[in-house]
Amino acid sequence: MKFLLTIILLTVISLIGSRLTFLNRKFSMGFQNILLTGTEYIFIGILLGQMGLGFLDAEAIVQLSPFLIFGLCWIGFLFGLQFEVRNIKKMPRFFFSITIVQSLLTFLLVSAAMTVVFHQFLEVKFSIILIIALTLGSAASCTAQSALAVVDRRHRFSKPRLLNLLRYVSGVDGLLALIFFTLALSILPAAEVSKVNFLNSLEWLGIVLLTGLIPGFILISISRVKFSQQEFVLFLIGTVLFCGGLADMLNHSPLIAGFICGLVTANFCRHHIRALSTVLQAEKSIYIILLLLLGASWHFSSATSLIVACIYFLIRLIGKLAGTYLAIQIWNPGFYLPKTIGLALLSEGGLTVAIILDFKLLYPMLADPIITIIIISIFINEWLSPRFTLAQFKKDQPEKKSPDRDLFLR
Amino acid sequence: MVMFRRFLSLSLVLLCMVLVTRSNLLDLPANASLTLVLGFLILAAYLVGFLVWKLGFPRITGYICAGLFLGPHFLKFYGPGVVNELGFLNSLALAFIAFCAGGELKWKNIKKNLKSIIYLISGITSVVFVGVTLTVYLLSGFLAFMDPYNSVTRLVISMIFGVIAVARSPSSAIAIISETRAQGEYTDTVLSVTVAMDVIIIVFFAVVVSICESMVSGGGSIAPSIILVLFFEICLSFFLGFLLGKAIIFLFDKVKVEFPVVIVAMGFMVIRFSHFLGDYLHEAYHINLNIEPLLICMAAGFTVQNFSYHGNRFLIRMDQVSLPIYVAFFAITGATINMEILKEGWILGLIIVFSRMLMIFIGSIASGRLSGDRPVIYKNSWLGFITQAGVSLGLLTEVVRRFPEFGISVQSILIASITLNQLIGPILFKHGLKKADEIGKK
Repeated sequence: MKFLLTIILLTVISLIGSRLTFLNRKFSMGFQNILLTGTEYIFIGILLGQMGLGFLDAEAIVQLSPFLIFGLCWIGFLFGLQFEVRNIKKMPRFFFSITIVQSLLTFLLVSAAMTVVFHQFLEVKFSIILIIALTLGSAASCTAQSALAVVDRRHRFSKPRLLNLLRYVSGVDGLLALIFFTLALSILPAAEVSKVNFLNSLEWLGIVLLTGLIPGFILISISRVKFSQQEFVLFLIGTVLFCGGLADMLNHSPLIAGFICGLVTANFCRHHIRALSTVLQAEKSIYIILLLLLGASWHFSSATSLIVACIYFLIRLIGKLAGTYLAIQIWNPGFYLPKTIGLALLSEGGLTVAIILDFKLLYPMLADPIITIIIISIFINEWLSPRFTLAQFKKDQPEKKSPDRDLFLR
Repeated sequence: MVMFRRFLSLSLVLLCMVLVTRSNLLDLPANASLTLVLGFLILAAYLVGFLVWKLGFPRITGYICAGLFLGPHFLKFYGPGVVNELGFLNSLALAFIAFCAGGELKWKNIKKNLKSIIYLISGITSVVFVGVTLTVYLLSGFLAFMDPYNSVTRLVISMIFGVIAVARSPSSAIAIISETRAQGEYTDTVLSVTVAMDVIIIVFFAVVVSICESMVSGGGSIAPSIILVLFFEICLSFFLGFLLGKAIIFLFDKVKVEFPVVIVAMGFMVIRFSHFLGDYLHEAYHINLNIEPLLICMAAGFTVQNFSYHGNRFLIRMDQVSLPIYVAFFAITGATINMEILKEGWILGLIIVFSRMLMIFIGSIASGRLSGDRPVIYKNSWLGFITQAGVSLGLLTEVVRRFPEFGISVQSILIASITLNQLIGPILFKHGLKKADEIGKK
C-alpha cells in the first residue's frame, strides 16, 4: 500500500506540479529562479522522505529504482539528443575554448579540493574518497540556463553576444560534465576496487559505450520504416527502457548509457528533431521526480557537511571565475567581455541532480555526504545566480527599458 | 523491404537480449532487470505485432504471441518472477482501458442504436450465461476437481464459468478497430455492445458472485439482504466514478492537466484502494462491501465524455499514449499464460470456447433478427464478440479472492479458455470487419 501511495504521490505531484511551477510569476529574481528550476520539489521530497513523513523511505526508494533508471536514462538521452556535432561546429572557436577551460578547471579544482577535504573528514579508503570527489567535480562543472532565462525575460539588452555566449557555454558544458563523470566512474569501476587498473577502466568504458550504442542503433533501425507519432512514442519509451535496463543489468550508469544513445540518435537518426521534441514533453515531469527523490534521499547526519558544502560552493565559484578569466586572457574573444563573467555560470541544473542520483544508484552507501552538499549548493546557487548574471550583463552594455524592469527595481 | 527491415530490427533486439541473458562473456546476474525486460517486451512485441499484421493477422495476436514465446515457457528471456513483478502494469493498463471504454460510450451514439444494443446485450448475455452454465454443470461429473462438491456448489462453479463467458475484451476491440482504421455500422454496433457489455458484465458479475456466495454459505438459499447490499455497492461505484469524472473535468478546466498519466494513476489508485477497502472491511469488521473499481473508472470516463466538453480531447490524449500501454499489456498477458495449466485444462477450455462461441452465435443471430438489424450486421456480429482479455482476467482474480477453496481450479481452466479466445478472437473480429467491408474506412 505504501509503495502504491508513493507512486501515486510522485506521479500526481510531478504532473500537476509541472503545470503549476514552471510559470512566469513575478517574484524576486532569486525566488523566481528557484521556482523556474523546480528547486522547491527538493523541499517536498525532504518532507516526504526519511527526514520527514517517511512516505519515501529508503525501502520505497529502492522499490522505485526501475522508475529512477528510466528517468535517468531519459534525461541522459535528452542531453545526448542536443549534441548534434554539426551544430556545435558552427559556433566560433572562442565559445568552445571558454566552455572547455571553465568546465575543466572547475572539475579539477573541485575534485582536488574535495579529495583534500574528505581525506580530512571521512575515514574511508582513498579510492572511495576519489570517486566521491570526482563525482562532485563533474557535477560542479556543468551549468544550467535557468538564471539566464530569468534575466533574459526581465531585461532586454541591445547586443545579444554575451547572452549567446553564455547560452552556448551553459548548454555545452553538460556534455563535458558527462564526459568527466564517465571518466570518474571508469577510473574505479567499483567501490571495492582500491587500485586503478587501466585495462579494467578500458573494459568499463567499452561496455558503457555498447550499452548506449546498441539501443541507439536499434532505434535508428526501427525508425527507418514509416511510422505514426504513437509508434514513435513507443519506440522512444522502449529504447530508453531497454537502454536503462541494459545499464542496470551490467551495473553501469543509466544516465551515461542514455546520453550515448541520445548522441547516436542526434547524429545518425534522421528523426532526431522529432525525437527531441517528443522527449522534451516529459522532461519537466521526470525532472520533478528526480528532485523529489533527491530530497527524499537526503540523510543529514553531520554538521560538517554544511562546512563542506560551503567549501564546495566557493571552490566551484572560483573555478568558474578563474576558468573564464583564463580563457579570455589566452584567446581573444573579439569583443568586450567582463572579467568576472564566470559569475554568470553558477546556476546548477537538472544534470547535477541527475549525476548525483545516478551516483546514488551505483554507490548507494557513499551518496549521503554528496547529497547534502549538492542540496545546499543548489539552493545557494539558484538564489544568487540571477543577480550575479544580471551584474555581468550590466557591465557589458546598457540595458533597454523592459516592461518588467520597474517591478524588479522595486 | 519493410518486412525485411522490421525483421532485421527484431533480430537485433533478440541478438542483444541473447548476448545479455545467455552469453557467458559478461558476469551477469541470473535474472534480467525489470526495466530491461519491459523495454525488450515493448520493442519485440511491437515488431512481432507488425510482422504478424503484414501476414494478415491482427497486431494484438502478435503482441500476445511475443509475450508467450519470449517468456518463461519457451525462449526464456525472462523468468516468471519478472513477469509477476510486471503485474502492477496490468492494473495500470486495466484502469486505462476502463477509462477509455467509459469515454467511448457517447450517449448520443448509444441512443441511435439503443434498440439493437439492448437486444444484442440481453440476447447474448442470457444465452451465453445459461448455455455455458448448463454445459459445465452437465460435464461436472467428468471433472476431477468438482468431485468433492455437492450439487449446489457444482451449480455455483458452473455459474461462475457462465458469467466469465459473458465477458468480452473492449481493449482488444478498440485496438483492432484502431489498427484496421475501421468505421461503419458494424464497427459501431460491435464497439457499443462490447463497451456497454463491459459495464453490464461488472454489474452482472457482482450480482452472480454475490448470489453464489450466498448459495455457498447459506447451503443453497439466497439471503434477501444480498440484493440490497449489491444495489448499494453498484450505486456507490457509479457515484464514486461520477465524482472521479468530475475531478478529472476539474483538472482539465482549472489546472489544465490533460496528461493521461495522471488519469491512469488515479485509476490505479482506485483499483488498489477498492481491493484494500474490501479486504480491510472484511477482515476487521466482517463486512462484505465490494465496490467495483473498473466500474468506477468506466463511470468516470463516461462522465468526462457526456458531462463536459472535454470528451473528445480526453479520448485523443488517451489515444496518444495508448500504443505502449496496449503493447505492454498484451505482451505481459501473453507472458503470464501458464503452459502447464494450458496443457492440463485445454480440453475443457476448448469445450468452453466452442460452447461459448456457439451461444454467442445463436444469441447474436436471434437478437439481431428480433431488433431488425441488416443481415450483414447480425450474421457477422458474433465474430466481434469472441475476444476475452483484461476484464475477464481481472474478474478471475476476484473469483480466487472470493472463493479460495475452488477459485484456483476455476481460474486455471478459465485462463486456458480465455487464452484460446484471445488468440482466435482478434483474427475472427478482423475477418468480421472484412466481411462487413469496413476496414480502412476511417
